Amino acid sequence: MTSTAQDLHPAPVLEPGRTILELRGLEKKYPGTHALKPVTLAFKSGEIHAIVGENGAGKSTLIKLLTGVMPRTSGEVIWEGNPAALATPHEAMALGINAVHQEVVLCRHLTVAANMFLGEENSRFGILQQRVMVKEAQKIIDDLGFDLPAHVMLGDLTIGQQQLIAAARATVRGTKFLIFDEPTAYLTRKEADQLFTLIRRLKSEGVTIIYISHRMEEVFELADRVSVLRDGTLVGTRNIAETNDAELVKLMINRSIEQVYHKEHFTPGAAIVETRNLSGKGFENVSMTVRAGEIVGLYGLIGAGRSEFVTTLYGRHRKSAGQILWEGKPVQVNSEHDAIRLGMALAPESRRDQGLCLNLPVGLNLNLPIYKRISKNLLISGAQEKAQADRQIADLRIKTPTRHALASSLSGGNQQKIVIGKWLAHGAKLFIFDEPTVGVDVGTKAEIYRLFGALLSKGAGIILISSYLPEVYELADTLHVFRRGKLVATHGFRTADHEEILTQALAEKQEKLGGKI
Amino acid sequence: MSTEAIPAEKSKRNYNALFGLTLLALLVLLWVILSLSTSSFASANNISNLLRQGSMIAILAVGQTFVIITGGIDLSVGAVVGFATVIAAMLINAGIPVFLAIAITLLVGVAIGLFHGFGIVKMGLPPFIITLATLTSLRGIGLLMTNGNSISINNDAFQEFSRNSFLGVPNLFWMVILVGIPAYIFLHHSRWGRYLFSVGSNAEASRLSGVNVQRTIYMAYTLSGLCAAFVGVLLASRIGIGNPTQAEGWELQAIASSVIGGTSLFGAVGSVHGPLLGAFILATINNGANLLNVNAFWQRIITGVLIIVIVYFDGLRRRGGK
Ligand SMILES: Nc1ncnc2c1ncn2[C@@H]1O[C@H](COP(=O)(O)OP(=O)(O)OP(=O)(O)O)[C@@H](O)[C@H]1O
Ligand SMILES: [Mg+2]
Repeated sequence: MTSTAQDLHPAPVLEPGRTILELRGLEKKYPGTHALKPVTLAFKSGEIHAIVGENGAGKSTLIKLLTGVMPRTSGEVIWEGNPAALATPHEAMALGINAVHQEVVLCRHLTVAANMFLGEENSRFGILQQRVMVKEAQKIIDDLGFDLPAHVMLGDLTIGQQQLIAAARATVRGTKFLIFDEPTAYLTRKEADQLFTLIRRLKSEGVTIIYISHRMEEVFELADRVSVLRDGTLVGTRNIAETNDAELVKLMINRSIEQVYHKEHFTPGAAIVETRNLSGKGFENVSMTVRAGEIVGLYGLIGAGRSEFVTTLYGRHRKSAGQILWEGKPVQVNSEHDAIRLGMALAPESRRDQGLCLNLPVGLNLNLPIYKRISKNLLISGAQEKAQADRQIADLRIKTPTRHALASSLSGGNQQKIVIGKWLAHGAKLFIFDEPTVGVDVGTKAEIYRLFGALLSKGAGIILISSYLPEVYELADTLHVFRRGKLVATHGFRTADHEEILTQALAEKQEKLGGKI
Repeated sequence: MSTEAIPAEKSKRNYNALFGLTLLALLVLLWVILSLSTSSFASANNISNLLRQGSMIAILAVGQTFVIITGGIDLSVGAVVGFATVIAAMLINAGIPVFLAIAITLLVGVAIGLFHGFGIVKMGLPPFIITLATLTSLRGIGLLMTNGNSISINNDAFQEFSRNSFLGVPNLFWMVILVGIPAYIFLHHSRWGRYLFSVGSNAEASRLSGVNVQRTIYMAYTLSGLCAAFVGVLLASRIGIGNPTQAEGWELQAIASSVIGGTSLFGAVGSVHGPLLGAFILATINNGANLLNVNAFWQRIITGVLIIVIVYFDGLRRRGGK
C-alpha cells in the first residue's frame, strides 16, 4: 500500500519513434452507415497524434475499434508487431490501450475513489479498505493537480469534472497507449491546462497518445502529428509543423470557412427577463437582465454556478431568495412548465442525462417540446411531425439515415445538434443555451451561430453559457463573469480582453492558493 | 454527407411491424400444429373458448404495457380484477342498473390507478412496492367485504353477455377490439402516447422539454387500473360470481404477455399489438397443452421457457444494430 502515484504508471521501455500500433485497412460498417472506410495508419511510440474531422466522420468509431468496445468489420490491427484481435475492452487494457471516451462511462452512484479503481479493487485493496482507497485516490488526484475531492459521489460532480476523473482513472492503469476523445469539450481553459500538463507528462514517460478535438488551437498546441477523417475516410496525415488551420479545415470539410463567429448586432429592445438578487443552490445574489435581440454570455470555471443559476431561472430548482421579472412583471416560476409557458427554452448542459431520450428516434426527440403545437386535440399530425423533424435535420445538418434512427446511434456532435434543434421551432422568447456547441464541428458551429442571429432578429433574447471563452467573447453583447456562485464582473461586447476575463473568473482561487503557500 | 441508406435501415424502421408479424406467424403456426395433432382444437367450441380465455389477459396486458413503457410495473392488476368482481356483484345484487354498476366499478379501477400514481409521484415509492402493497391489501379488503364468501350474481342478462357471440365471434373478443383500437391510437398517434415513451426513456430530459412527467405517470397507472377493472366486470359476467381471490397470478400472465409482445422492462419500448398477440400465444399454449393432456405443471414450464427464448431473440436483434 505504499506505492506512490509515480510508480502507478511506470514508464514503458520503448524507444521513441518506433511504430507501436498499426492499422491495416481497418473498417467498420453499422447497419445503414459505413462509419469507417478502410483506414491504414501507423502510430509512433511516444507521439501525440491528433485526429480531427467533422461530426460523424468516424473518429469515435475508430477509438471504439481500438479499445475493443465494438467489433471491427474487417482489417487488421498490429500491436508491437503482432496482430491483435481487440475483441473485448479487457484485451485492449491488458495490452496497455486505454481510453477516455467522449461520453463518460463511469458509475454515477459510486464515489470518485471507487470509480478510479473500478474493476481492480480486489487486487489492490482488500475488502473494506474504503478509507485507504479514498486516500490513495486523493493522492493521485492531487498529484495530477486536479482540485477535486475523492470521497464524493461521481454524480455530484459536473460533467467536466467527471471527465477529469476519467482521465485520472485511465492514467493509473499502467498504460502505454492512451486515447482522449474530446476531453476538453466541457472544460474551461484552466482545467484544460491541467489536463494538457498531464498529457505532456505522459508523453515524456513514453506513452503514445491519440487526441481527438474540434478545437484547432489545442491540436496545434499539443500534437506532433495530425490525421484528418472525412466521411469515414482518412484524407491525410500531416506533421504539425508543416500544416496550418486553414489546410486542416479544408481537408475536414472540403471547403473553407471565412468566419466561424458570425455576429449580428441588433439594437436591444425591451427587457424579456430580469433577475433581482436571485439566490439558490450553488449561486447567490445574481441580478441581470436579458433584452430582446441580445446575447448575454455567462463565463466562469466549471462549478461556478452558471448552470445552477439558469436551471433555477427555468424552474427546475427552487430559488431561495430574490425575484424574477418577466417582461417587467414579477412572476413565480415554480416548475419548468411555468417557464415554458412564459416563453423560456432551455438546452441543458448534459445531453445524456438531461438533453436526450437516447433509445428513442431522432424525430421524437426533436419534436418533444412542440408536440402540443403539432397535434389537434390529442392526435398528432403525421405530416407536421415529419416536416418539423426533417427541417431541423436539414438546417443543422444532423447526420442520420432517417428521423427514425435512434438518437443513441448518432455521433456525439450530432446528438448535441438535437439538443439545440428541438427548441428552434418552439417560438420561445428567451433561449437558454448551456454549452450548446460541445463536441460540434467548426462548420456546424458557424451554422448554429447564424441560427442564433435568426432567433435574435425575431426579437428573442439568448443566455449563452460556455466554458470556451472565445465563444462567449465573440458572441455575447453582455458578458457576465461568474466565480464561486457570484456574478463578479460584467463587460460589453469585446470591451475586456481574454486575460482580464480569465483573471476575474479565477481570482479568488489564486488568492486562496497564494494564502496557502 | 454520404449516409448510404442500406436496406438494413428500412427493416429497422419497420422493426415493430416485423416483430408483430413474427409473433402472428408463431401464433398461426401453433394453431396449425394443434389443428393437425388434435381432433378437438379446430372445433368452433374450442376456438371460442380459447378466445374467451385469451381476451381477458390481453386487455390486462394492454394496460400493463402502458405502465411498463414508462419504466414501471403494475403488480396489482390481478387483485384489481378480483376486487372488481366483488364490487360489480354487490352493486348488481343491490339492484343498481347494470350500466351504472359497471361505470362505478370502472371508477373504482381508476381510483386505484390514481392511488398508485400518488404513491409513486408524491410519496416517491417504487412502482414495484406500491403496487405490491395494493395487491395484498385489495385481496384483504375484498375478503373483509364478503366475509370470505363468494357472491353469486342474480342477473341473467349480465351473464348472458359473456356467453354470447356477435357475428360468430365471442363478445369477449369484441371487447379486446373495443379496447385495442383506442389504445393503439392513443399509444402510437397521440401526444400522450409519445410522452409515455419519452418519460420511460429519460424522465429528466422529458421534464426539461416541457413534458408533464407526473401527469404522464398518473395516466399510465390509471389506464392500467381501468383496464383491470374492466376485465373484472368481464370476469364477473363470465363466471357469475364476485370473489376477491379470483384472477390469482393474472398480473404475471399480463406481464408475460407484454414481454413476449416485445415490451422492454427497461421502458420506452412497446406496442399495443405485441401484448395482444402475446396474450393469445399464451392462451393457445395453455389450451393446446390441455388438449394434448400435457401435465398442467409443464404448461408453466413451457411458458417460462417461451419468455426466455422470445426475449432473448428480441434482444439479439435490437443489439445487432449496435
Ligand atoms: N451504434 C451505432 N449504430 C449505427 N450507427 C452508428 C453507431 N455509432 C455511430 N454510428 C454512425 O457512425 C458514424 C460515425 O460516428 P462517430 O461517432 O465515429 O463520429 P465522430 O467522428 O466521433 O463524430 P463526433 O465529432 O460528432 O463525435 C456516424 O454517422 C454515426 O451516425
Ligand atoms: Mg465522437
